[in-house]
Amino acid sequence: MAPNPSATLQPHAADHAHVTGLRRRLIELARADHRLPIGTDMVLHEQADPAAVMLDGKALGRVMIEAADRYHTPIALSLMDLRLEKSDLLQRLGVADEQTDTFHFDQAPSDDQMAQAAASDKAPFDPRGRAHLDAIRYVVRQGGERITCGMAIGPFSLATKLMADPITAVALAGMGMSASDEPDVAMVERVLELACGQVHRSLAAQIEAGADAVCVCEPAANVTFLSPNMIAGGSDVFERFVMGPNEVVARQLNDAGVGLIFHDCGELIDDMVRQFAHRLHPVMLSLGSSRVMWHDAELVPDDVVLYGNLPSKRFYSDADLPIDAVESMTRELAVKMKTTGKPFILGTECDVLSVAGSHDMIAAKVDRMLGCSCH
Amino acid sequence: MSELEQLTEAIRKGDRKQAGQLTETLLDAETDLEQVLGAMVTAMDDIGAKFQRNEIFVPEMLIAARAMSEAMNLLEPRLIAAGIKPKYTAVIGTVQGDLHDIGKNLVAMMWKGAGFKVVDLGTNVTPAKFVEAAREHTPHVIGLSALLTTTMPAMKSIITALREAGLNGSKVVIGGAPITQSYADEIGADAYASDAGSAVDVVRQLVAA
Repeated sequence: MAPNPSATLQPHAADHAHVTGLRRRLIELARADHRLPIGTDMVLHEQADPAAVMLDGKALGRVMIEAADRYHTPIALSLMDLRLEKSDLLQRLGVADEQTDTFHFDQAPSDDQMAQAAASDKAPFDPRGRAHLDAIRYVVRQGGERITCGMAIGPFSLATKLMADPITAVALAGMGMSASDEPDVAMVERVLELACGQVHRSLAAQIEAGADAVCVCEPAANVTFLSPNMIAGGSDVFERFVMGPNEVVARQLNDAGVGLIFHDCGELIDDMVRQFAHRLHPVMLSLGSSRVMWHDAELVPDDVVLYGNLPSKRFYSDADLPIDAVESMTRELAVKMKTTGKPFILGTECDVLSVAGSHDMIAAKVDRMLGCSCH
Repeated sequence: MSELEQLTEAIRKGDRKQAGQLTETLLDAETDLEQVLGAMVTAMDDIGAKFQRNEIFVPEMLIAARAMSEAMNLLEPRLIAAGIKPKYTAVIGTVQGDLHDIGKNLVAMMWKGAGFKVVDLGTNVTPAKFVEAAREHTPHVIGLSALLTTTMPAMKSIITALREAGLNGSKVVIGGAPITQSYADEIGADAYASDAGSAVDVVRQLVAA
């Protein structure tokens, strides 16, 4: 697939001194063959009442620390709960808490709604959002050598969660239709504007809470939403809806001295990986199992740590992915990444979710991934 | 190129406006309704095949389905008036606990494009609702979708509920990001579809069996 000629690689801003320090530390961890899963959800679901923990910042912070300690990593990761920003935004717009998960805009947000979102930007977060921020504060307060990592959905992925049929709307925009041609294009443009504001609010709060890094998750920025044919044909859809908003995210974090960990477990084309790595210049780039990491190493600058990408979404099934296969995949990934010379932290393709009835099987595979030798 | 061929081409290209205009022209000219429907199904079959060959992606497929839907909205009342009913019925839904609907919607559109009557139960659908829909519509196929590893165990509950209710006439096909053929085998589903394009082939094979 030819790269989009309009999306040439532009130099990223210089790192803030704190970000430089974090980048060096992650590279050192990579050089020491560090491994970790995104395992906070696993530990959460071992608690007596996970739902209550998600509303209790101190308890949630303890879960973050327990996950980091269990997996022998200094990186304490927030729970990858990508519903938080949607819930907070919609509650600020007057949608009832219990309806936020299922709510979708069916037309472009009104001027009043846009104004209401802007006016309530400094309002307190909802209880789940407050617990998320308190958990970060709790981990930061414990001190030590931990890297406290917040979590946020990316602006494009949040926009897709706010619409019933985001793919068609984005595709129409990608075909060159304007807001005046198509109501769906008007809707996606306005919803993206709301999403950008919401992600900015979430990141500002996590920065204020003391996060060293924030993992920004853009799983919807993939070929299901963004046709490689359209991009190759010169469409600006990837630039407009993904890169532009995420460059703002990258600047906001870097200006505050907070590292960007960029996560996209979706199916990507090479040029998307290249643009993420060079233009957003994250301290770490986390990719899904559809990517061949040792090939992607060539697409990424030497100072961006690659993270991933064992197929943890399949850990629930021994028939589909036996534990010995996890070990052989781990070995292959470790050995082949070593030959690239690029900094790499071996891990999972996404949050390792606890599946009822399969928790022990999943935990055993995570342990095998962490424990098996490469010799 | 005949007007029927032009209709096929308009849907393939995702040109909603042209698809609608051509359908109106064909209906005004009292073209055989089955032929008009056939032109639409041919377009969506081509789209499905191209998708499976990775020549097009989901956005192009949805844009084509949108054009198909425009044409179908004009054709459907004529088909009903003429007593022409879809040969097969499918019920589809995203399982309980899961609110993701993009994959499910895509499969529903492709099944409609293949000439099925599709009853869409939405997201977060309980086993009881699937059983109720199976009783009401006696579908040839029931499609279950799940995006999350945490929600896919609900598929097994639905299959169990259908079997316990004696509703063995409907074939169950499952799909979604974490789903595999081995999982389909494990929970007793009749088939697994890896994507929206293959979902059409799978249900055609199921109803032909």
